[in-house]
Amino acid sequence: MNKKLTRTIIAGCLFIVCSTDPICAGLVDQVTSANASLAGGHPIEALDSYKAILSSPELSESSSAELWFNRALAEEKNGNAPAASLSLRRALLLDPGFAPARRQLGVLLGGLGIPLASGWREAMTEMIPPEFLILGGSIIGWIGIFALIIFLMLGPRKKKIVLLAIILAVAGHGVCVLGTLIDPRLVAAKQAVITAKEAQELKSTPADNAASLCSAVPGTLIRIVSRNGSWWCVSVGPGVSGWIHSDTVSPLLPSSKGV
Amino acid sequence: MQLIRTVPICLTAASFLLIGGLADVRAAGDVSARAELSKSEVTAGEMTELQLKVTGAEVADVPHEIQVEGLQIRLTGQSTQVQMVNFKVASSVVYSYIVMPLRTGKFLIPSVTVSADGRQFRTQSLSFSVLDASGPTAAASVPATSSPPGMPGFSQSRPRAATPKPDMGRVAFGEIDCSKKTLYAGEMVPVEIRYYFDACYATQVRGRVDFGGEGVLVERFPDPKEGREERNGVLYNVLTFHSLLSGVKPGSIDLAPAKLDCQIQLPGELPPGFDDPVFQQLLGGQARFGQTRELAVKTAPLLLEVLPLPKEGRPASFAGAVGQFDIDAIVSNNHPSPGDPAMLNVKIGGKGNFKGMGPPVLTATDVWRTYPPTDKFDSSDELSYTGVKSFDFTLIAQKPTHVSPGAEFSFFDPQSGKYQTLITKPLPLEASPESTAIVPANNLSGKQSQPTPSPGSKPSLTPRKGDPIAGLTLHSWKTPVQRSEFLTASISMLVATGALAGVLWFRDLQARGGTATSRRKRRLSALWANLTDETMDAATTYDAAVEYLEMTAQGDSCHAILASVNAKRDHLKYGSGGTYPLNQADREKLLSDLRLYITTPKHE
Repeated sequence: MNKKLTRTIIAGCLFIVCSTDPICAGLVDQVTSANASLAGGHPIEALDSYKAILSSPELSESSSAELWFNRALAEEKNGNAPAASLSLRRALLLDPGFAPARRQLGVLLGGLGIPLASGWREAMTEMIPPEFLILGGSIIGWIGIFALIIFLMLGPRKKKIVLLAIILAVAGHGVCVLGTLIDPRLVAAKQAVITAKEAQELKSTPADNAASLCSAVPGTLIRIVSRNGSWWCVSVGPGVSGWIHSDTVSPLLPSSKGV
Repeated sequence: MQLIRTVPICLTAASFLLIGGLADVRAAGDVSARAELSKSEVTAGEMTELQLKVTGAEVADVPHEIQVEGLQIRLTGQSTQVQMVNFKVASSVVYSYIVMPLRTGKFLIPSVTVSADGRQFRTQSLSFSVLDASGPTAAASVPATSSPPGMPGFSQSRPRAATPKPDMGRVAFGEIDCSKKTLYAGEMVPVEIRYYFDACYATQVRGRVDFGGEGVLVERFPDPKEGREERNGVLYNVLTFHSLLSGVKPGSIDLAPAKLDCQIQLPGELPPGFDDPVFQQLLGGQARFGQTRELAVKTAPLLLEVLPLPKEGRPASFAGAVGQFDIDAIVSNNHPSPGDPAMLNVKIGGKGNFKGMGPPVLTATDVWRTYPPTDKFDSSDELSYTGVKSFDFTLIAQKPTHVSPGAEFSFFDPQSGKYQTLITKPLPLEASPESTAIVPANNLSGKQSQPTPSPGSKPSLTPRKGDPIAGLTLHSWKTPVQRSEFLTASISMLVATGALAGVLWFRDLQARGGTATSRRKRRLSALWANLTDETMDAATTYDAAVEYLEMTAQGDSCHAILASVNAKRDHLKYGSGGTYPLNQADREKLLSDLRLYITTPKHE
C-alpha cells in the first residue's frame, strides 16, 4: 500500500515539473538562425524570425524568456522602444528572475520616462521564482499532510513528530499561496502596455471627441478595467482611469493567452 | 463654423465716408471732430441722422442728447473704423444721433464738445430746416431709391411695411480661382474659392465646401479666412477657402461648381405697429422680423485640361514626384560602431505633390545593406504644398567603407515640362561590419555589467551591443494554479490522502474488532448464549447475567434485579454449588427476569 502511494506521489510531482519545461527541439535551429541575424546586424530579419518563432504552435501555451528578450533587442534596434518594452515585460512574465531582461527594461523605461516597479513582490520574484515557491511549497505541504496521517494512524503518536508534520503541511501550502500571490502571471491577463509611438490621451468616454483626462507615455503598463468594442477602459494608477483605443495598446499576454 | 453678419453702425460710417469723401482722412495721431447731417432739410414727420465723427481716436466722450429747441436729438450708437490710406493708419469713431423734428422751421444745431485723448474738441454748428408737409418735398432733392447713409437695406423712402425682395444672386455668390487650367497629371495646383455674403443679412454657414469630381483629387479644405470686400457699392463678408487639386486622369475635366450650404436671415414683412422707421432706427436700423432661407451658394464650374506625364525622358529613379524640388543629404552618425547602423538622411524640399512622391534611390550601395526608409514631412504651409520631406535610410556596412551611398531623386517639372534628376554625392563616414559571435547564455548571467545611460541619451538594450541570449527555456504563460496539470495533481493528492486515511482507519478498525456497537452486540450475544447454555455452571451463568444486566440495564428500576442477581452470583461463587449447572427451574426464572427487562421498552 505504501509503495503504491509513494509511486503515485512521485509520478504526480514529475508530471508537474516536466510539464513546465518541455524541450522543443524543432525550434532550436530557427532560434539559432534568428540569433545569428541579430548578432550579424540584421535586426529587421531577426525580428521577423522571432515573430515567426514566437507565434508557432509549439510556443502557444509556453514560451521562452530568452526569445522575448532577443525580440526586444531587435525591436529596439528597429527604433520601436514601446514594443521592446512589451517584449521585455513578457520575458519577465515568463521568468521573473531573468536579470538581463529586468536590467534592460529598467534602462529602456528610464529612457521613456517611466519608473520601473520595485515593490516587495518584484524583489521577491527576482530572488525566488514564483514557480519554485508554488511547486516546492505544494510538494512540502502534501508531504506534511501524508506524514500527519501516517503518524496519527500508524504511530508513533509523539507530539513532536505530529507537530512537525502539521508545520510541514501548513508552511508548505502557505508558501504555495505566497508564490501564487506574487506571481505576475496571475494578473497579467488584465494588463496591457501602450505600444503606440506617441503619448496617448485617456478619454472620459469611449469616443474620439471626448474630453481628455490625462495622457500616458508609450511603454506604460496599464490595467484593463473593462472593454467596449475597440475602446478599453484602463487604469494607469490608483484612481486614474479612462478610455483608450485598443489599437494603441497591446495586452501583456499574447493575444491568444486568455485575453 | 458660424458666420453672423449684421449691419452695425460702422456701415453708417462707411456710407458717410463714401458721401463725404475721403478727403477728411487724417494721419494717425491727428485728432479732430466734426458733425454732419445726412439731410439738412426734411419735411415734418421725417427724421434724419446726425453723425459726430472723431478722427484719430478710438473712443471719445460725447453727450447722449443734444438740446435744440424744436428738435429731439438722441444718441443711438457708435462704431469704430480703421482705415489705411497711403500706408497711414487712421482710426475714427462715429457717434450716430437720430434727429426728430418737433415742429417746422429753421434750426441751428450748435457745436458739440467732444472729449478725446484727454483733450476737448468742438464740432462745427449745422443748419437744419424742417419744411411743412404741404411744401416742396425733400424727395425732390434726394433720389427715392437711395438708402440713407448708415442704414443700408432700409430706405426711408420706401413704402411702409413693404419689404423689397432681395436678389439672391446678389445676396450670396461664390467665385473660384484656379491658377492653372491646364495641368499635368499629379501636379498640385492651388485653388481659391471665395464666398460672398451680403453684410446686410445674418448668415450661418452649414457644412463644408462640396467640391471635386471624377478625375481630380482635392485636398481637405482647412479653415477659411474671413474678410470684407465691397462690390458695386455693397459690402460683403467674404469666406476664402484655399486648397490644392490635382488631376489623376488625363483629359478634359468639367468640375461641378463648388457648393457651400448656408442659412441667410432675410427681411420679412413687418407686422403692423413695427413698421415705423423711428422704431426701426431705435433698434439700430436693423429689421427684427425676417425669414430664414436655406441657400446653396455656388461658384462657377471649372474646366480643367489634364495632360499626361510624358514618357520620353522619364528617369529610372522617377517615383511620381511632380513639382519643383531640391535635395540635400546628411549622415547622422559618421562613426558607427562595428555592426551598428548608420543613418543617411535625404531631404527633399520645394513645392509639389509631397504626399505622392516616392523615396529617392540610393546609389553605390555595394558594401551596404539598406532597408526601406522612414519618411517625415514638415510642411511650411497649411496646405502641405511647400515643405521638406525627410527620408531616413538605415545602412549597415557589409564591408569596411569610408563613404555612404549617394542618393538620386527624379521629378517632373511642370513649368518646364521636363523631367529633372537631382543627385547627392556619397558622404564620408567610417563604418565596418560586426564580427562578434553569439554570446553563450552562461556569459549573460545576472552579474553582467551594464553601462549606465547618460541623461538624455537613447537607452541601449544590449548587454554587449545587441548580442542575443542563446537558450530556449520554456515557461508557461499561466501560473501553476491556473494550469490543469497542477489542479489535477492537487486533486490527486487530496484523493490519495483520503484513501490513505481510509485504509489506515479500516486497518485499525479491523485490528480493534470493529466498532463499539458491533462489539457490544457480539458481547451481548455471547452472554445470552452462556445464559441459555444448560451445561454452563451456575457461577458462570450468573456472571453472564450480571454483565448482561450491566450492559443493558438503564434507570433506577433495574437496580433491584441487578442487586439480586449480584447477590446470587456472589453466593454461588464464594459459597457452594457454584460449580454445578444451574437447575432448570432457576435458569427459567433467571431468564424470565432478564426477559422482563429485555422486553421492557427501556431495555435492549
